[in-house]
Amino acid sequence: MIAVDDRPRVLHTTTRDEEQRHRARARWVTVLGYAAMVCVLLIVALPLFWIVMTSFKERQDIYTIPVTWWPSTFHPQNYGEATRSVDLAAYFRNSLIITTVLATVKFVLGVLSAYGLVFLRFPGKNFVFLGIIAALMVPNQITVISNYALVAEWGWRNTFQGIIVPLAGVAFGTFLMRNHFLSIPAEIIEAARMDGAGHFRLLWRVVLPLSGPTMVAFALITVVNEWNEYLWPFLMADDSSVAPLPIGLTHLQNNDGVTDWGPVMAGTVLAMLPILVIFLLLQRHMIKGLTSGAVKG
Amino acid sequence: MGIDIRNMDRRGFLGLAGIAAAGAALTACAGTGGDAGSAAGSSSASEDASTVTFWSNHPGRSIDVEKELIRRFGEVRPDLTVQLVDGGKNYEEVAQKFNAALSGGALPDVVVLSDVWWFNYAMAGAITPLDELFTAHGVDTGDYVDSLLADYLHDGGHYALPYARSTPLFYYNKDVWTAAGLPDRGPESWQEFDEWGPRIQEVVGSGHLAHGWGNAADYLGWTFEGPIWTFGGAYSDRWDLKFTDAKTIEAGQFLRDMIHTKKYAAVSNDIANDFSAGLLASTIASTGDLSGITTNASFDFGTAFLPAAEGVPGCPTGGAGLAIPSGISDERKANALAFVEFVTNADNTAHFSQNTGYMPVRKSAVDNPDMKAFLDANPNARTAVDQLARTRSQDYARVFVPGGDQVIGTGLEKVALQNADVETTFADVQSRLQQIIDRQITPNLK
Repeated sequence: MIAVDDRPRVLHTTTRDEEQRHRARARWVTVLGYAAMVCVLLIVALPLFWIVMTSFKERQDIYTIPVTWWPSTFHPQNYGEATRSVDLAAYFRNSLIITTVLATVKFVLGVLSAYGLVFLRFPGKNFVFLGIIAALMVPNQITVISNYALVAEWGWRNTFQGIIVPLAGVAFGTFLMRNHFLSIPAEIIEAARMDGAGHFRLLWRVVLPLSGPTMVAFALITVVNEWNEYLWPFLMADDSSVAPLPIGLTHLQNNDGVTDWGPVMAGTVLAMLPILVIFLLLQRHMIKGLTSGAVKG
Repeated sequence: MGIDIRNMDRRGFLGLAGIAAAGAALTACAGTGGDAGSAAGSSSASEDASTVTFWSNHPGRSIDVEKELIRRFGEVRPDLTVQLVDGGKNYEEVAQKFNAALSGGALPDVVVLSDVWWFNYAMAGAITPLDELFTAHGVDTGDYVDSLLADYLHDGGHYALPYARSTPLFYYNKDVWTAAGLPDRGPESWQEFDEWGPRIQEVVGSGHLAHGWGNAADYLGWTFEGPIWTFGGAYSDRWDLKFTDAKTIEAGQFLRDMIHTKKYAAVSNDIANDFSAGLLASTIASTGDLSGITTNASFDFGTAFLPAAEGVPGCPTGGAGLAIPSGISDERKANALAFVEFVTNADNTAHFSQNTGYMPVRKSAVDNPDMKAFLDANPNARTAVDQLARTRSQDYARVFVPGGDQVIGTGLEKVALQNADVETTFADVQSRLQQIIDRQITPNLK
């Protein structure tokens, strides 16, 4: 009897113990989570902060020991210097053209090819996909030389098409979108087909509205990548008529001489801003897409 | 769109896919068809013989000076237009861009190649030996500073003409020198500097340094070459590597001691800026840094020869020359040579030198009245020009071995930054360089 009487009490204490332990663990997880976030924030934000601050520093402030975290006097003239000594407007325009065209082309190609790979039936589909994956594995530094020979032969050096066309191949996007399309429930697609939707309608009305977040992620990655592309445009471009911003920025640096880092950082901030804006805009959609998808199931 | 994607049948789609695949395959292998392109691709604009395409990285931020030289050339040769092309941010990038161009088509007419790059291209036959062109077009090479011209000699031919040529230079902060009670001059030997170093360090205090060395990317392999010679060592004697030589190791040990035992020196990531900000009391940097340091330093500084006893070479030459690719037509080569000769003539090299700090590459440039006045007004620039007579061409191991500069620089960096054992580090450098020589140089030498 006593034993029976005892049991619930023992049980009761263990649950409370467990609860406490559970709560303690949860607190630990929260603390560690925050610590990790602070860590990541520092890693990401510190260099950014440093770039922005340096862009406002006078020369003497940049080279001091110990370092100064806040400019003693703000020196926005760096921005004037950066835009004056290099034709940043031209580089900016080129970056805009190259990124817009490339991102659009890559986006359309990626979505269409992924659609084809998932919803069309044709033999050797897996081989095509394997081929695309293989292309993803080849770093573009390897293909540079043969691409160069080809493009130079066409007389496309120092032209926009020379920069854009060889970069327009898309493997990553196909891969990303295909995997997402595969996760769309087959019933939805079947239902749409039974309602008489053709490929175009299926893609436009059914598949794409279900793919918001993936599409935004794909678009964002593409835009950032193209904006920062250096090696290929550097090889192709001869002057500021087609060269994008990353190349313009290197002209602010002085090789075999003294680099004035203030203007360089000012130029970097200017080059960074558009991407930051795009990111902030798209990020909201990314989250919106995520939540709406979750509610609809 | 001509193709109705909604009503496309299976066969139509397969056909389309086949065409796309064939197109892709064509693209994939077409890249190899370009090697004849340099001669055949007459459609591209740069094949136009009346345009001289000049690939430059604008050494020493010289883009405005280069534009001025091009403007002057336009006055003498109105029939030619010169197109100045941004070749990259440093010598490595312009060499890389040139390398890509060699794969086919769209070669420049004139390209800037630094001390460590021209030989690779000369050996590969990518740039023209100029001597025949000199005779054919009456270019007198006798006026070029002999040692600078001789730097481009390979297999009996000259493969480039000196352009933005520099040497290392000893920069020192005069205020610190006075505070430390030192005479207003550079050290006469590294042994003397070894006595000065701790005294200077006491004056500047912690956080600052008596001496700063450049890192590998700032060509530590170059700035330390002179010091190694003064110890009786070398990187190599022609193709014979000397890193295991006791004298070379002694020099490496000296570098290690001044940094890790006596602690008055260190490797700085940006010597020119750190020196002009007053963080380093002295440094060895390129003469090409002179104009930048002069503008930026807020204190009185002096320049001196690299420490070396009389008659012992303690300073290498360096910098870049102008080369002409071999894959272009003779007419283009002739125009290119005319341009190269013009921008390096006495007046123009004097102009270039005054605005950048690079050496005037012609003997007669020093007699140019403009240059004379400039040197009188800028004693620091005069030091650099005077030092030329005491320079020596560089060791093969650094300038002729592909990638040799970075191998050596990284090895020295290991000693300087990580306090690595000199003997083992140098032995490692030697074996790595030897591998490259055996694989890439020996088979190609006649």
